[in-house]
Amino acid sequence: MTAYRVYSKEEWTSAVKALESHYQVFVPVKDGDFHLFGLLSEGKRPDFDFQNTHLSPKSIVYPQSERMFEYSLDGEDPDAHMLKEAPKDFSPRAIVGIRPCDALAFQRVRVNFDTPRYRDPWWVSRFESTTFVGLGCNAPEATCFCTSVGGGPFSEAGLDVLLYDLGDRFLAKVLTSKGDGLLKKALGGMEADGTLVRQAESLALKVTEAMPAVVPVDGLKDKSVLELFEAPFWEDVAFGCINCGTCTYLCPTCWCFDIQDEVLGKSGDRIRNWDSCMFPLFTLHGSGHNPRGGKVARVRQRFMHKLKYYLDKYNEGVQCSGCGRCVRSCPANIDIRQVAELMNSL
Amino acid sequence: MLLKNLLEHIGLEPGRLHFSWISSAEAAKFVEVANEVNQVVEELGPARFLVKRKARVA
Amino acid sequence: MLHYTEKIREIAGRLLKQGVVDVFIGYRKGSVPMMNNPLLIRDPGSTDLLYWDSNCALNLCNYLTGRKDRIGIVATGCVSRNIVTHIVENQISRSQLYVVGIPCTGMISHRAVIRAVGGREIIEFEEQGERFLVRGRDFEEIFEKNDFLQSNCAVCRYPNPVLYDEMLGERVPGYEGDDVYRDVEKVEQMSSEDRRGFFSRMISRCIRCYACRDACPLCYCPTCFVDESRPQWVGKSIDPVDTMTFHLLRAFHCAGRCTDCGACERACPMGIPVRQFTKKLNKDVQELFSWEAGLGLEQRPPLDVYRQDDYDGFIR
Repeated sequence: MTAYRVYSKEEWTSAVKALESHYQVFVPVKDGDFHLFGLLSEGKRPDFDFQNTHLSPKSIVYPQSERMFEYSLDGEDPDAHMLKEAPKDFSPRAIVGIRPCDALAFQRVRVNFDTPRYRDPWWVSRFESTTFVGLGCNAPEATCFCTSVGGGPFSEAGLDVLLYDLGDRFLAKVLTSKGDGLLKKALGGMEADGTLVRQAESLALKVTEAMPAVVPVDGLKDKSVLELFEAPFWEDVAFGCINCGTCTYLCPTCWCFDIQDEVLGKSGDRIRNWDSCMFPLFTLHGSGHNPRGGKVARVRQRFMHKLKYYLDKYNEGVQCSGCGRCVRSCPANIDIRQVAELMNSL
Repeated sequence: MLLKNLLEHIGLEPGRLHFSWISSAEAAKFVEVANEVNQVVEELGPARFLVKRKARVA
Repeated sequence: MLHYTEKIREIAGRLLKQGVVDVFIGYRKGSVPMMNNPLLIRDPGSTDLLYWDSNCALNLCNYLTGRKDRIGIVATGCVSRNIVTHIVENQISRSQLYVVGIPCTGMISHRAVIRAVGGREIIEFEEQGERFLVRGRDFEEIFEKNDFLQSNCAVCRYPNPVLYDEMLGERVPGYEGDDVYRDVEKVEQMSSEDRRGFFSRMISRCIRCYACRDACPLCYCPTCFVDESRPQWVGKSIDPVDTMTFHLLRAFHCAGRCTDCGACERACPMGIPVRQFTKKLNKDVQELFSWEAGLGLEQRPPLDVYRQDDYDGFIR
């Protein structure tokens, strides 16, 4: 039987505080105009009254810049020219208050970093050391479209615990043993009775039903890659695009990176940085040729990857969790919902 | 001047950046300026601003 | 400025039909409130897509670079100054352009509006003359546009196009106060160390997306220094020194060219006031060379020419 616990909102804040001796606890905090995920240990005050964080929590598992290896170029050093793994912190961490779309996003990204043939050791280790405590969305934004891409405002995919905000308290639904373990370390709360559970279920149903799937992606699987690639609308879609990295860096499902060596004196670092298909350098060949030399090709790549190549390769939905961050923050108002519609109806 | 102003505006210590025009025939001026730059910079101590050491990343 | 929409459609239709231009560049109404989408049309039948209001704050001159066709373009004061700069720098020729001038009463800072409603989600935006209305799920507010102008627009001295083929309305008054650079002066008065802290904190949020660069019409280099790999000029990580180096160089490349159109700041997804870099340069260029960018086709920019009386007090 599924376990539920209920916490008054004050209780929940101290429960989260109590997690600190067991986890690095990431919580939504108000930072200027936005909410962002911050470390509780840095004196940040959790604020669970938010729509979604401005930046996705992907950097908690996959930092924007990460030292992979260190090496010495000193001929005298017996270990010269040997890559040594940089010290890493894989201690348990908890993301408390992650929205269901962002939890789903980690699942969509996982197929890239954790495959039967290749495992990215750092992404996987951080992912596995993370407990995901979700917070259902009582009021999805107008730009949200999780229900169109296989998620939902109370979707449980990728979560260990799901919280329901019931006004003056949180109902916590335990989804995995990892989640159960976390709640046992959180103080306070009590077992919830059936009435509260029914209240939460009807809330979830009401909110989910009020959010119909409006972005059509159902026809994409059967479309021809070449026809989509050569579709007549790309030039129009791309015209306004300024080719910045806002959409890719705010996106919880964009995973591309670049690897750089930085050398100082006789010691070096091999660093992995997020990269973006919007940047010309992303595809520049050593020969000087750039197969995606122009803006239209780059914009097309982003949408084709998300809505077609990914779908064809993994058959696990599109590479989008419907969080709407790119829609809200694109300086030129390029809207993935409209592009999906164009592609779907080609 | 624009570059010097901008650099100092964003926090470079005054005295860190020097410009001069010295002809190849002006050995005495070269010595004078070099000594002066040396003295001012020494007083400021090691530069920290805009100097990258090991990358500060995760 | 909503009322310009009809006129823009009319003119675009006429220009395309008569073959005066091959394409027309303007804005389409955005899919989210207070965000519009730069648009290019070729077909006189699709002029209904064109739209104009006080949220057209990216600089359309950015879309001219490298075009070989004849272009109709909507231009406010700052956009027209950037067009002038483009012409002076040989990025486009005057004869290719048909400039539809807009006397501009300023663009709205969407961030200030969101702040004013306490961060609540705005679902609808309606411009009503010099006021505007925003509506959310459980609120509705009417604001005076003048209280919510982008900070560059609030002190704009050149709201009227300096170069145009046709004007859409009567000229509007520009800002006449003598405190255009008050924000820069405030920073100048800080100690060196405080300024270092001020700018370091400011860019600590930067995610290196380069939206500031990409939104800027001056940034048309075929390969930006950031995208150079042989040699690489600046680190790609989010190390604070690399990030500062990027902002410093981006700004310096705009020296004597920046019109303070505010597109960089508008585009920044993290709300960083990146104009604090370029505005210092604008102030210095004005003080040292009595220069403001993009005001006329005849004058060469100050960093383009040598004059005997150029300031040289910094050279020993």
